[in-house]
Amino acid sequence: MSPDLAMVIAAVALPFVVAALTPVVFRVLGEGTGFAGTVVALTSFGLLATQYGTNGTVGLEWVPSLDLALRFYVDGWALLFAMLACGIGALIFAYSPAYMHGESGLVRYYAALLAFMGSIVGVALAADLIAIFLFWELTSLASFVLIGYYTADDSSQYAARMAMLITVGGGLFLLVGLLLLSLVASDVLGPGAAFNLAAMLESPETMQSALRERGLFLPVLGLLAIGAGTKSAQVPLHFWLPNAMAAPTPVSAFLHSATMVKVGVYFIGRVRPMLVSTEWLFLFATLGLTTMTVCAILAVASTDIKELLAYSTASHLGLMVAGFGFTSVYGAETGVFHLLNHALFKAALFLVAGIIAHEAGTREIDELNGLRHDLPVTAVITTVVALSMAGIPPFNGFYSKELLFEAAVEASHHHDIGLLGWLYPAVAVFGSIFTVLYSLRFLSLFFGERPEALGHVHRPPVTMLVPPAVLALLAAVISVDPQLAVDAIVQSGLEATAVDPHEMHVGLPTSYSPALGMSAVTIGVGLVAYPSYGRLHDAIRSVPRAVPPIGANWWYDTAVDGLSDEGRAFAETVHDGTLRTYATWTLAATCTLALAGFVAAGAIAPTELGVEVSLAIALVLLVAVIGGVAVATAESHIAGVLTLSILGFMVAIFYILASAPDLALTQLVVETLVLVIFLLVIEEIPERYEVEIGTVARDAVLSVLVGATAFVTVLVTTGARPDGSSEIARAYAEQAIPRGGGANIVNVTLVDFRGFDTLGELAVIALAAISILTLIVMRDRDGDRTAIRDGDELTGDEPAVTPADGGDDE
Amino acid sequence: MTTVIMRTTARAIVPIILVVAISLFFDGHNLPGGGFIGGVLTTTAFAIVYMGFGLDFLERGILGRDVDPGKEPSRDRVVLAYRRLFAYGFALAVASGLAPLLFGKPFLTQTFEMLEGVPIYDHLEVASALAFDFGVYCVVVGGLLTILSVVGAE
Repeated sequence: MSPDLAMVIAAVALPFVVAALTPVVFRVLGEGTGFAGTVVALTSFGLLATQYGTNGTVGLEWVPSLDLALRFYVDGWALLFAMLACGIGALIFAYSPAYMHGESGLVRYYAALLAFMGSIVGVALAADLIAIFLFWELTSLASFVLIGYYTADDSSQYAARMAMLITVGGGLFLLVGLLLLSLVASDVLGPGAAFNLAAMLESPETMQSALRERGLFLPVLGLLAIGAGTKSAQVPLHFWLPNAMAAPTPVSAFLHSATMVKVGVYFIGRVRPMLVSTEWLFLFATLGLTTMTVCAILAVASTDIKELLAYSTASHLGLMVAGFGFTSVYGAETGVFHLLNHALFKAALFLVAGIIAHEAGTREIDELNGLRHDLPVTAVITTVVALSMAGIPPFNGFYSKELLFEAAVEASHHHDIGLLGWLYPAVAVFGSIFTVLYSLRFLSLFFGERPEALGHVHRPPVTMLVPPAVLALLAAVISVDPQLAVDAIVQSGLEATAVDPHEMHVGLPTSYSPALGMSAVTIGVGLVAYPSYGRLHDAIRSVPRAVPPIGANWWYDTAVDGLSDEGRAFAETVHDGTLRTYATWTLAATCTLALAGFVAAGAIAPTELGVEVSLAIALVLLVAVIGGVAVATAESHIAGVLTLSILGFMVAIFYILASAPDLALTQLVVETLVLVIFLLVIEEIPERYEVEIGTVARDAVLSVLVGATAFVTVLVTTGARPDGSSEIARAYAEQAIPRGGGANIVNVTLVDFRGFDTLGELAVIALAAISILTLIVMRDRDGDRTAIRDGDELTGDEPAVTPADGGDDE
Repeated sequence: MTTVIMRTTARAIVPIILVVAISLFFDGHNLPGGGFIGGVLTTTAFAIVYMGFGLDFLERGILGRDVDPGKEPSRDRVVLAYRRLFAYGFALAVASGLAPLLFGKPFLTQTFEMLEGVPIYDHLEVASALAFDFGVYCVVVGGLLTILSVVGAE
């Protein structure tokens, strides 16, 4: 059954529409806007649910002349991700009003959340490379706005900028990868399929072999991996995610655990059938397992509950990436199933962290203990989801982790990877031990002695308790009967991401397997090591303090600070406040670029100068040259300006002799105007400068460079002119009277044939006027803000001037 | 530069320049000229007025308004009018480009009509491009005069 376009578009567009209407909704509902968001999320969820079981591409023409279309691809994998986003979104919106009570800027908050939800549904369903990229970057933008929600807080701004730099920077790598992909696709599958991801996925082998033939397989794989890796916080670009915890907790639960950071994982799963290979295994299994282990270790070193959860999220994202990296069917099962499981338990854990921070007033792990007395319901919820995160049977996290172990063991059966066949399972176990450790640590917040220092802890409002409870309940249901989730959606997600899908069966193991042994080791070592958690924690923390370069944050700060300083120093060199420096840099850069462009294009070739000029033209040009020399040797500015205009008028006469009266007129008029303007400003210029010899030399070199560039440009452009009049020139000449109704071909070309160019030039003139106004108004802006306000009011009540003034013009 | 010679000359040539500018603008479709040239020439006429009589002359002398001499030109009334002129001119150019869309033609399509038996002229050509060209004229005059008067006042 093929999907219904209207339903799909409605599901994507609805959040965006409501996001645009948020100011109005907020005026009516106030802080209850969150519940409106819940309704929107549930509506989108319902619309997507009607498409459950469908499979195929639907689309709208977008720019038909460029073969661009807004295509949506609906299958189990897309629906799983999109519905997950809407479902968790509904809970987050319900949780927000109580958590964000009394905050300002809620319109921005809800609008960004809604726009984010629309983008995430869009990225899940998009089947067009351009649309995928647009939605992808929209999620980064929404994340930027939401991380920087506390605009007065420096650390929150720092974190927002960092997330933006990393994810959008990665997005650019993705863009290049997508463009390479589209180049190959338009070659192999025809131009209609250039941006059509669905068409590419229909013939994955053709695409892969075509990519390999052109030597583009590794570049594309690498570029897509960088894009997905930055988005999904893979080592070494994982550090933005813990910093992103500066966002309000519902945002962390929604964007930075359940959905946005999974976009990278989702995309890896999406292109998996097309790119899966031995290289794929090496890249993603290694990347994923490294991230999983490093971030799990860092989670143990965390002191803040949100920081712990953030590192844990990165670690679990690594698990999913590693899952998809393993080429066997178990790999795909791991990725798909863990995406669902992780979203359920991690979003719930973040919401629990939000409850703790909100009610206990602190997020320091050391200050929190014995919370079960104050928060009994939350304690029950946490027990379910924390054990699920640890991968303790029979909780749902256990099943997907078992699948990872199986995939890791299987890897050496499918590929000849030598030592890595042992290393992968070993690293998976090693990383998982830390997962058990930090999960137990999080759970221990609720148990043990309640410290005296902890003040009164309030009971959370019911709207903050229901969302994590719903998630924990779902996790519990999957724990009891995992096959239910598999049949409902995971199986169809598997079919989209696996190369050789088969019936998937998940349940508690009944007989011994290597994976079961690995689970036993993980949990056993975890439990044994737990009593020395404090020592481990201190030991890990002491490492980056001793060797700062080991921390990824250090690299980021060094690079960004270094670039900022370099940029500032460069700006001071180039823009030092004197006009001559500006002119030097601009002219030198322009000439160098132009000449380098000619050289690179091989445009400079020795040409014969067939010079045939009449005596009149030669005389005129001679006078112009003399004028030019006179400018350079002029004693005063007035003399210089006047001799310069001799040059200009000679050029005008040259145009007349070359039978171009329109050009001549323009040249004359502009020359006159420029002369007048020069005379206006000349009094402001100091009569003589003290000029050093070095400056003179610089100016001389620059002048020669500019002259040479102009000369070469004229030669190259006239050299490239076709012999005789080209077809288009003849057409213009013939059509000017019948089609344009004018005998002046220049004017007809300007206003009729090439009207769009003229419109662009008008925009340039208008912009120039606006920029000069802005420059002059801005210059003394700080001094008199009131004057500007008066000026603005004047704008409002002065329409009477225009007719009088306009009358003058005409 | 506000000498007697300058003023006397300006009195004589400014009207001539303006008339030439307008004729260049209207003849542009068939003879050398057009909106751009006409616009620049008009601006030149204004520039000469500025040079001969000072920046405030337009308002004080011609429009008969009181002007605060120390006032900044960017907020001056005439400059506001110039700003509006190029904004409206740009709007006119865009609108004349959009108009053909109403008749199902592509953006910026132009047409013309020959009118026969018009008094004095006998036959007169009305080109839709004239509206676009007038937009060009307004942008050039408005934009250049804005720059000129703002920079000139410095």
